[in-house]
Amino acid sequence: MRSASAKQAGLTEERIDDGIDHWRSSDAFTPAEKVALEYSELMQFEPARIDEAFYARLGSHYSEEEVVELGAFIGFNVGYHTFFRTLDFYPMFSPEGVLVSQEESRRIYGDTPGSHLRAEVQEALAAAHAHESAS
Amino acid sequence: MTLVDPIEYEEAELQGLGSRLESFAVLGDQSAAFVRILARAPKYAEALWDAMAEALFEGGVDHSLKEMVRIQLATKAEDPYFSSLRSRRAIEAGLTEERIQAALGDFGNDPQFTAAEKWALDYAYRMYRTPESVNWAFYEEGKQHWTEAQIMELGGLVAIHYGMQVFMRTLSPTT
Repeated sequence: MRSASAKQAGLTEERIDDGIDHWRSSDAFTPAEKVALEYSELMQFEPARIDEAFYARLGSHYSEEEVVELGAFIGFNVGYHTFFRTLDFYPMFSPEGVLVSQEESRRIYGDTPGSHLRAEVQEALAAAHAHESAS
Repeated sequence: MTLVDPIEYEEAELQGLGSRLESFAVLGDQSAAFVRILARAPKYAEALWDAMAEALFEGGVDHSLKEMVRIQLATKAEDPYFSSLRSRRAIEAGLTEERIQAALGDFGNDPQFTAAEKWALDYAYRMYRTPESVNWAFYEEGKQHWTEAQIMELGGLVAIHYGMQVFMRTLSPTT
């Protein structure tokens, strides 16, 4: 799924992919954005590395209110995404907003959901466009 | 105290968090440090603690079982704060430290736990160790013991408490 409000504010799939896979080397992110993305990655995979020095780095970019907001948001998502993964549940809508079955959704998003720029998702988008044009 | 200091208790009360501070104290921390840390972002303190409290204290699954699940998760998260807390309500209902420790051990072979309790403890145990094993067959087994509403209640408890425990772990200066 993607936040409609974030997309309307200009967030692109390319930037989402960069934020997942290439944020360290990408020039598309500010130092503040990079440390937030690092916070998220560490919280999920290496929480023991989030120490006083790391919080000092966070604090050089964000207020304490923002640090708590980020940390709680990340923790909430770490907890919930693993739970939802076990439910084997897919979005009820295609990336174009068309209601689809669980089987169709799985075909569109794949067994390991991630980038919307993958060929399967792009094909589904093209098919949805063609369907809209024909109707 | 922690890498993000809690706001003062009185300040949290002035923010309207008094009832949340009191309900958190049931977990054994009269200072409600967790709520006062979250209170740096006041709306988060309200929303997240309300959800955590609902998951832990309300619903159709016994609170003492959920307290054992919560402590088991905090141990997995290596969070010294939440793993040290004990629910007064659960203790008053008869939950003992011996039973808590049994839930942290080989609960699957422990006759003091019912099959339903074993499934719930196993659910939490597997969730962040081997989530791929929490599959259709595992949920089907769970439905032998619990309603779907109770399973979702347990899943929600596991997800939100573990997430906040991981966050709190990072705030400990010992990490």
